[in-house]
Amino acid sequence: MEYKLRKAEPRDVPDILRLVKELAKYEEMEHQVTLTEKELLEDGFGDTPFYHCIITEIQGEKSSEDPKVVGFAMYYFTYDPWVGKQLYLEEFYVMDEYRGLGIGSGILRHLSNLAMKTRCTGMMFVVAENNEPSVQFYKRRGAEDLSQEEGWRLFRFDKDSLVKMAAPSEE
Amino acid sequence: MLNHPAPNKEPARVVQELAEYENVAEHVKLTQKDLEQNGFTNNPFFHVIIAEVPEQHRTKEGQRKIGFALYFYSYSSFVGRAIYMEDLYVMPEFRGKGVGKALMSKVAQLGLAAGCHQLDFTVLNRNKPSMDFYFSQGCFDVTATIGYHCMRCKGEALKQLAQL
Repeated sequence: MEYKLRKAEPRDVPDILRLVKELAKYEEMEHQVTLTEKELLEDGFGDTPFYHCIITEIQGEKSSEDPKVVGFAMYYFTYDPWVGKQLYLEEFYVMDEYRGLGIGSGILRHLSNLAMKTRCTGMMFVVAENNEPSVQFYKRRGAEDLSQEEGWRLFRFDKDSLVKMAAPSEE
Repeated sequence: MLNHPAPNKEPARVVQELAEYENVAEHVKLTQKDLEQNGFTNNPFFHVIIAEVPEQHRTKEGQRKIGFALYFYSYSSFVGRAIYMEDLYVMPEFRGKGVGKALMSKVAQLGLAAGCHQLDFTVLNRNKPSMDFYFSQGCFDVTATIGYHCMRCKGEALKQLAQL
């Protein structure tokens, strides 16, 4: 089975959202996905992209069939003031039935190369601690768990708290 | 007190101070030049808001820039546009006066104006004063509630991954 890794294009947006929802379902958080195709299109393919995306597609069995998108990675560049640019891997997913074929490793290899070419000193991401297969997948490849080893905890203000905090103070 | 964007050399000094506060100064490798190139060119990788006090409140060393917030725009595959606050720091003698709160409020305003749906940042679990401050402002601990761990691949591990 041949697969091809390429940069996502605007026409891939429906597949990107489909895979985002599949991954959310796998993490039992599908009700939390509020992103729409319109936002994905504006935010990824406008003048100032908020994210970048690569996808893996496989050729159908018959040459007349359209290729099928079976995996993707969504990433952007972040900044650590101690050591510089980082590549932040926001989403990384391969459809269940296409795992074990090296597609995931191929995506990671491509992104690591990109990180080095763009002078990033590291690639960062979050993993749910109860997602054992993923945790092992990353640790086998040399990833450090900053939460466990250095005590970093991720904190978040959701939309409502953000609005409250942005309100001018009474003083 | 003024909050304003930072087109000058202060960030490197306050970044070093923040690193010492967190006891990790030997990990700070960026130079003034890196910060300038990466933060103040056409497509910045980060933005900085600086808190500055009036002349009469400056420090013994003559410093008026006494705190900062460093942030950048990020993206959540669940909710879309987001903002990430990488550093928040106020010099010790200026704490307890609402400077940290004002800096965060400014980052929140900028984030909302840009259409962001959440503000993320990390805190060291031994930094209890900061954790208490953030909880009082209405945020939640994603690592504790959802179990998300922050991971990084760097140096040799990154090189190996690129060659697999």
